[in-house]
Amino acid sequence: MEYRLDRNVHSLLDPRTKLLLLFTSSVFVVGNAGERWMVVFYWILVYLPVLLLLVEKEWVTAAVAGAIYVGCYFAQRALQHDLTAVESALALLLYVITKILPTVILARYIVRTTKVSEFLTAMRRMHVTDKLTIPISVIFRFFPTVAEESRSINDAMRMRGIEMGAKKATEAVEYRLVPLIASCSIIGEELSAAAMTRGLDVGKKRSCIWNIRFGWFDRIIMALCAACFIWWGIGRFYV
Amino acid sequence: MISFENVSFQYTGEQECLKNINLTVNDGDVVLVCGPSGCGKSTLVRCVNGLIPHFYRGELTGTVTVNGTCVAQTTLRKISRHVGTVFQNPRSQFFNVDTTSELAFGCENFGLPPEEIEQRINSVVNRHEIGYLMDRSIFRLSGGEKQKIACASIAVEPVDVIILDEPSANLDYQGIRELQKMIAAWKEDHKTVLIAEHRIAYLFPYITRALLMKDGGIVREYSADEIRELSEEKLHSLGLRAEQAEDPSEIRIDTDMRRGNTDTLVLSNMKYSYRKEKPVFDIPRMEIPAGEIVGIVGANGAGKSTFLRCLCGMEKSCKATLKVGDELWNNKQRRRNLYLVMQDVNHQLFTDSVLEEVMISQENENREEALEILRSLDLEAYADKHPLALSGGQKQRVAVASAIASGRNVILFDEPTSGLDYSHMLQVSELLKKLRENGRTVILVTHDTELIKTACTYIIPFAGIKHGEKKEMII
Repeated sequence: MEYRLDRNVHSLLDPRTKLLLLFTSSVFVVGNAGERWMVVFYWILVYLPVLLLLVEKEWVTAAVAGAIYVGCYFAQRALQHDLTAVESALALLLYVITKILPTVILARYIVRTTKVSEFLTAMRRMHVTDKLTIPISVIFRFFPTVAEESRSINDAMRMRGIEMGAKKATEAVEYRLVPLIASCSIIGEELSAAAMTRGLDVGKKRSCIWNIRFGWFDRIIMALCAACFIWWGIGRFYV
Repeated sequence: MISFENVSFQYTGEQECLKNINLTVNDGDVVLVCGPSGCGKSTLVRCVNGLIPHFYRGELTGTVTVNGTCVAQTTLRKISRHVGTVFQNPRSQFFNVDTTSELAFGCENFGLPPEEIEQRINSVVNRHEIGYLMDRSIFRLSGGEKQKIACASIAVEPVDVIILDEPSANLDYQGIRELQKMIAAWKEDHKTVLIAEHRIAYLFPYITRALLMKDGGIVREYSADEIRELSEEKLHSLGLRAEQAEDPSEIRIDTDMRRGNTDTLVLSNMKYSYRKEKPVFDIPRMEIPAGEIVGIVGANGAGKSTFLRCLCGMEKSCKATLKVGDELWNNKQRRRNLYLVMQDVNHQLFTDSVLEEVMISQENENREEALEILRSLDLEAYADKHPLALSGGQKQRVAVASAIASGRNVILFDEPTSGLDYSHMLQVSELLKKLRENGRTVILVTHDTELIKTACTYIIPFAGIKHGEKKEMII
């Protein structure tokens, strides 16, 4: 069967939309700007990442995330009386989870669905300098590497009987980090050498084989983000 | 055309690595640069792709020119339009996460029009029949598949000089066959190819010249016919590997070495599948002779490394058992009683010193005993050194030392000789034999035919699952 490249393959959202969404989510979910005034937008921003997981057909992850949300919601409802010390610690933990988790899911979605080349091109169209975007794209590339390396290191530690809660538990963190940093720095150096022999350089024009453009979903999400900021502005300055 | 005029190079803070090289490579030549580890062959090719002096710093004298351009006086980006490089380590040469983008990467950097890149990709993919590798994550490919993508991504670029820096280090028999096809295609297209390598036999049909390096200098030049005529002993004396391209499962090994009548370890119910997909392997029963050196051989991507992970109890979903004497070991017991020396041994060295590395593995820390173990592996002099500062072979021995210290009798190795030259391969082989002499069982996954011939006393051919068959693997 003959292979034909399809240059129109892309994820639901444009890289620029994804970044705008991440920024909005950081401000209103993690930062909690506007507080009760923003409550409707808040819940939309919290559940949107789960929807994106469903679009990417990550059923299990989406179900787990949804279950955590619902569980946290009811647990927080149950904890709205006078609290003991343990209960308030638990309430604080739940609060942190509900604040951080949506944005973590979103960041993971962005890393998984954005091609390096798409990202570089989208940033260039926004006139962001290469000096910033190339290092960021290397970080993208590094997430799976770090995961792969730390899995091997984890195996090695289990084989040696050095596990959390077993002997040497206190040193376990150090033992994990030393080889991880050592191997990531070697990979990092080899990776930059390889990228440079393939003509990657700052400040030079590059092309992109992927057709990237704004679609309907991009417009909807951008409108949503704009609405968040406008509604927040109204609450802040006019009410 | 590539030319070297009185070129010498010294990495900052190290000994001189290239000494007065004079060399001319004509267009369309396929040149093998060979020699033992540390002879300077990688340094020589780095002078052509511009990594020296633009990436690796040091003192360069003399001039290297590629197609009339002086490498030192231009930029890496400009050189990269003429010269493409395939590196040794497939895990660190990909900038993209998906294969299709990786193929396009070089051309995108040169700013070629997307339509032209599309055309180039289509023609390379169809010519080399790698359509099945497209649109996949780099992290889900086997070593051989990664190397194919690395070669293909250079083939997409409009370069006329191609550098291969030990490209076969992580490849098996089948992977090497694929690499050969790639080199043949480049030769047909009249590209200039420069290959730094110490496994050389697989290149004989394609090369037009071979350069032998030693201690930073070119000591001899051979024609293709001359190097083919060299005997195995001669190649070994030059530090080169003499592996023929042969299927490791068909190797005849010397059976006189076997102890005969030894016990066997019986592995049962060895079955693994990745995330509910069809099983990677399904082995109802496998007999492994105890106290021997058993080589498990099979193609890249057949699941051999996963097999080792399951064997030492790392995969929860694998419910295999290993019968040793009267005991039946489950995953947890195998984790405590078997020890795997990983392919990348850096992953299993955690501490500040070699001695500590051994001592944390002991049931009760005992300095004298730890030193004794180090002595038996010629590591006593390094007891206070940082494990990550040692050479590759020494690191491997440190890992073995900690296995011995924890009293384990079954030691597994995952590709212990990938990328090693002849003398270093022999060192590993000696180490395996020593473990066997002390009554330990050694199981290794390898595609190194020379290692199999010098060390293994048994071979088990390993086949991944095809069409859901089950396979009894009994010798």
